[in-house]
Amino acid sequence: MTDIAWEKSRQPAAPSRRINAERLKLYAGLVLIAAVLVFVIVNGTVNNARYFISISTLLEDPTYIGKTVRVSGAVVGSSIAYDAENLIIDFTVADFDESTTDLVSALHEAVVNPNSARIQVHVENMVKPDLLIDEAQAIMTGTLDADGTFYATEVLLKCPSRYEEAVPEQAVVSDEFNAAHP
Amino acid sequence: MLAEIGVFTTAFALLTALYAVGAALWGERRAHAGGREAFTVSARNAVILTFLLLLAGSGSLLAALYTEEYQIAYVWSVTNPQMPMFYRLTALWGSQAGSLLFWTLLMSAFSAAAVTLNWRSHRRLMPYAIIYMMAAVAFFAALVLFVENPFDRWWILPDASADLQVVKAALIPAGAEAPSAARLAETASGLNPMLRHFGMAIHPPMLYLGFVGFVIPFAFAMSALASGDLSSSWIKASRRWALIAWLFLSLGLILGGRWAYDVLGWGGYWGWDPVENAAFLPWLVGTAFLHSIMIQEKRGMLKTWNMFLVIFTFSAVIFGTFATRSGLVDSVHSFARSEIGFPMFGFWFLLTLSAVALILWRRSRGELRDERHFGGILSRESLFVLNNFVFVALTIAIFWGSFGAPIISELVMNTNITLGAEYFKSVTPPLFILMYILMGVAPLSAWGVASMPRLGRALLLPVLLTLATLALFVADGTTHLGALFGYGIVLLAGWVALIETVRGVLARQKAHREPVYVSLLSLFARNPRRYGGYLIHLGITVIGIGVIGSTLFQQETQQTLSVGESLSIDGYSLRFDELLAGQISDDGRLMDIALVTVLRDGVEIARLRPRRDFFPQTEGMNTMTIAGAHSTLENDFYVLLVEWEPINQNSATFKVYINPLINLVWWGSILLIFGTLAAGWKHEVLPARLRQEMRAEEGAAAPTGRLARKGAQ
Repeated sequence: MTDIAWEKSRQPAAPSRRINAERLKLYAGLVLIAAVLVFVIVNGTVNNARYFISISTLLEDPTYIGKTVRVSGAVVGSSIAYDAENLIIDFTVADFDESTTDLVSALHEAVVNPNSARIQVHVENMVKPDLLIDEAQAIMTGTLDADGTFYATEVLLKCPSRYEEAVPEQAVVSDEFNAAHP
Repeated sequence: MLAEIGVFTTAFALLTALYAVGAALWGERRAHAGGREAFTVSARNAVILTFLLLLAGSGSLLAALYTEEYQIAYVWSVTNPQMPMFYRLTALWGSQAGSLLFWTLLMSAFSAAAVTLNWRSHRRLMPYAIIYMMAAVAFFAALVLFVENPFDRWWILPDASADLQVVKAALIPAGAEAPSAARLAETASGLNPMLRHFGMAIHPPMLYLGFVGFVIPFAFAMSALASGDLSSSWIKASRRWALIAWLFLSLGLILGGRWAYDVLGWGGYWGWDPVENAAFLPWLVGTAFLHSIMIQEKRGMLKTWNMFLVIFTFSAVIFGTFATRSGLVDSVHSFARSEIGFPMFGFWFLLTLSAVALILWRRSRGELRDERHFGGILSRESLFVLNNFVFVALTIAIFWGSFGAPIISELVMNTNITLGAEYFKSVTPPLFILMYILMGVAPLSAWGVASMPRLGRALLLPVLLTLATLALFVADGTTHLGALFGYGIVLLAGWVALIETVRGVLARQKAHREPVYVSLLSLFARNPRRYGGYLIHLGITVIGIGVIGSTLFQQETQQTLSVGESLSIDGYSLRFDELLAGQISDDGRLMDIALVTVLRDGVEIARLRPRRDFFPQTEGMNTMTIAGAHSTLENDFYVLLVEWEPINQNSATFKVYINPLINLVWWGSILLIFGTLAAGWKHEVLPARLRQEMRAEEGAAAPTGRLARKGAQ
């Protein structure tokens, strides 16, 4: 019967020296797993750590050139160029104030302000994401080349404005206002 | 009107939840003093009332979505008049405020179900369990009311200055007017197009059910710690709830993966995104918990450890919710930055701290001492402990990569370091390998003492079958050594599960004359946990093979084709037949559809319609790329319409993925779900006589009070 394996052992407790030896083996197993864990975490962290910095920091500090970093910027819609045949996307992102609570306005400000710090982004082998639109927030991983172009390998896009924080400016005006401004 | 109903029922729900906490506490103190239990019964009734009130509150929001009350800001922001009814209703969980209310409702539903179903069987645990679950419900109800109120409406204050004219409030402010309904309807945003997908409509509720379901095991564990009833009765009470929550969490994760695969158009299903990881963490700790409670039930060991596991499962749920909903991490699916960050963090911190403190206190009093010592390293309990460590190690590694490193670097080094998907791809495989090895070996080991020769003999057949299966893979052309190693480890776990089940069937066949399927069914009926568990293991094996195949052997290509031209990849060719531009759908979306034919070795196997949808009414993100896929057990032929020539529609660009074995991920998931249902099944159905008795008891006033008094006399 297979169920034998599930029954509680009726054997009397083994001599304590044996139990201690077996316990040591169990602890050795646990230490082994812990060692594997520490090794893979340290190794993975060292090899994959990417500094998340702002565009202006990236441009000001030349030591970042050639290093893999993560930057976040506001997408300038008019700059998006897409070569669908070769799957190459080029666009510009502008530095925005990330400490803000009003992300929508901050992204908008960054795009319309001609003096905001900007970088050219170049992405290869990527189908243009549906979210790559004007005033979206792009979080990109890649390296800044000496020529000033940011070669991104990963692009994460967010459009915070439209679904969460919008206030219906035009929606919530009084009827008189509607009459005056059809 | 609906907004008022919603606000008042939610406010009353908050009050009744708080009352339940107070009454349960008072009832427990009175019971200790030998008094009556009226307050405990009253607390139970308050739990049920809280659920009914939240049901009414959520119902009124649902009614508002149904009747298109755009004055309610939430309705205005997630729906518009063009949206089909189905997505208007599922918009209940389409955004922060509504989903928080829905979450609170589900949590109170679990609480009401637990107090009703377990009232008699776990009477002693009830007062404190009510305190903990209702404290959690009250916290979330307060968040809904005071921070993210889904019933807030737009108002106009004509007398205020221009920029202060528009205000958001649940109840009408003095001197305010309602805005024009027509204008509101015209400007309503509509649900994010990406969320208009069947998978997305049911993925969040499943995930939420999984998350909130863990409040019940948590509450029972805390109740055991608080009341001092540290027998395994809390485990008996928790197990089924943990299994139900685990089932829903698994379903939520799977559906989320399926949605990503169908909608996000990158050919994958899991991206190691922080939000995905936040949902995966409680699943991992919960899995460890479901395994290690067996040791406590059978051997009276690991008492402290199990407490930690159940508490950290729920703690991971709350932490994940906090991290996702507060805008702490950048992710594709994070909610917008929100005010709920601080209160949620406080709640998580208090909950975890108090739970850990309670465990340590009970432990210091020697009340969590194990009844047995560990036997051999190869004994089943030792292997289970190793398995638990692997799950916890996975949890730690994934937590560190998603949240630990970014947060610590921010706090300590004042820089922000993130770890990308590559980190997870290098860190998790060794741990998953260990997990699968233990999955293969542990079921063959015995409790207490196990010897190497015996275990080796038991492993012989599964190892041989695994090698035979690997030979099939090699014959099919797999030469990648790493892949073969991975397949081997995974297959061993599956063969062990299968063989153990077959052996059970054969043993029954020897003893009874009956058809094989009857043997199989009675095997499941007699020992549902064991054989349900094997079915789950089999599902995890099938998923593992699918993951290895689709990750290591994915192929992709892209090409621009004129009508009539073909591209070829891996023995397949794709012919571009026609482009149907500007097709209008019922919900107002414009679809550009490419008609393509897929041929294999010259034989037509499928016609696909990859397309791009455009939502003219939606601002911002308003296009969506929908893949066309031809699925077989062998692979998916997955094609995206990337771009096309708008004028004469003569040429279009396609991206094609071949995803080998990917469908095993979904098939394995189905096995896993059936296995989980089987594992939790038996105890669902009580004998009819017992049910009748319980019903009779329910009819009488304060039934348990009477019983308890009788017992005391």
